[in-house]
Amino acid sequence: MVVVLTVICGASGLVLSYTNKATKAPREYQLLKYVQEPSIKAVLNAYDNDPIKDRITIKTGKDEKGNPVEKNIFPAKKGSKVVGYAYSSAANGYHGLIDVMVGVDPEGKVTGISIMTHSETPGLGAKIVEPKFTKQFKGATLSSELNTTAKGGKIDGVSGATHSSEGVVEAVRKALELFPKVKKEVG
Amino acid sequence: MRVVQEFTKGLWKEIPPFRLVLGLCPTLAVTTAGKNGLGMGLATTFVLVCSNILISLLRKTIPSKVRIAAFIVVIASFVVIVELAMQAYFYPLYKILGIFIPLIVVNCIILGRAEAFASKNSVLPSIADGLGMGFGFTISLTVLGSIREIIGNGTLFGTSIMWSSFEPFGIMLKPPGAFLCLGLILGLMNFISSRQKGH
Repeated sequence: MVVVLTVICGASGLVLSYTNKATKAPREYQLLKYVQEPSIKAVLNAYDNDPIKDRITIKTGKDEKGNPVEKNIFPAKKGSKVVGYAYSSAANGYHGLIDVMVGVDPEGKVTGISIMTHSETPGLGAKIVEPKFTKQFKGATLSSELNTTAKGGKIDGVSGATHSSEGVVEAVRKALELFPKVKKEVG
Repeated sequence: MRVVQEFTKGLWKEIPPFRLVLGLCPTLAVTTAGKNGLGMGLATTFVLVCSNILISLLRKTIPSKVRIAAFIVVIASFVVIVELAMQAYFYPLYKILGIFIPLIVVNCIILGRAEAFASKNSVLPSIADGLGMGFGFTISLTVLGSIREIIGNGTLFGTSIMWSSFEPFGIMLKPPGAFLCLGLILGLMNFISSRQKGH
């Protein structure tokens, strides 16, 4: 009785771990395709490749435990020429992390941003997802202009949501700081 | 002959949701469109046929004291396989069906067929039984989903089929619509079979 049950459970475990391994790559692809592609499309200029398929994973540093932190870079290409890069970047807003997809052209200028996940206050901080706010980042570079107007920059923050606005600015800033490394590794 | 009989009984005489009134949870929950019903039905059919085959092969090995536990392990394994495959190749459908894919494990039709049929019969009739019941379930869900989609959204499998001034009945896509629709089909089927008997 015990033997039969053990064998059945063992066989089931074996089959499942194999299935898990076999479907891992397509599952990851589908997840990125349906969850991230809309954001990627929104932040990049015209391209003719499949950025999800061409994605490159780079190591961006180490976390507190010393494990490497990895990031997916989605390159946009026209022919074989890279015309832009999209990758996510996160920073603290008023309530936890704001995850932003940032598109950058080869010169290091922002081509667009899209807020993917956030938990800011509905009606106030949540307005950071509106195009009115996000489109201001188009053309931004790593300079003092990339700041909210309250801090002497050019980004008009969402009124009543200073922390949320600054969180987005911070995320974009982080993305641009990472850009030289991205360009070097992706080419 | 017997194999054919085992197959066809699932299509009308014992068609699961309408006759046996089993597996109502997915029947009511995912049939907001014909396509969803079809997807759910096929996923369930796959699990049903595979678990019927395996259980019928193992029926002499599995001690009767732990048979339910063994059946559930077999069924759950196939459900996880379906779930992973769907995630990998039919992501949008996977998103729509959501929690109801893992819940195929507790669908009474599957455990019911395992216990009542596959554990007592050889492989061939078990396959026929699984296919018949599975297709019966698929047909029921597709029909129910299509009716709800036509009345609730004016479309069938995503294509618009109603006249242009048709005002969709939103309620049909919500839970009450599922109950209404299921009840009417049950009534209609009872009516037809009582007429056949000549009452």
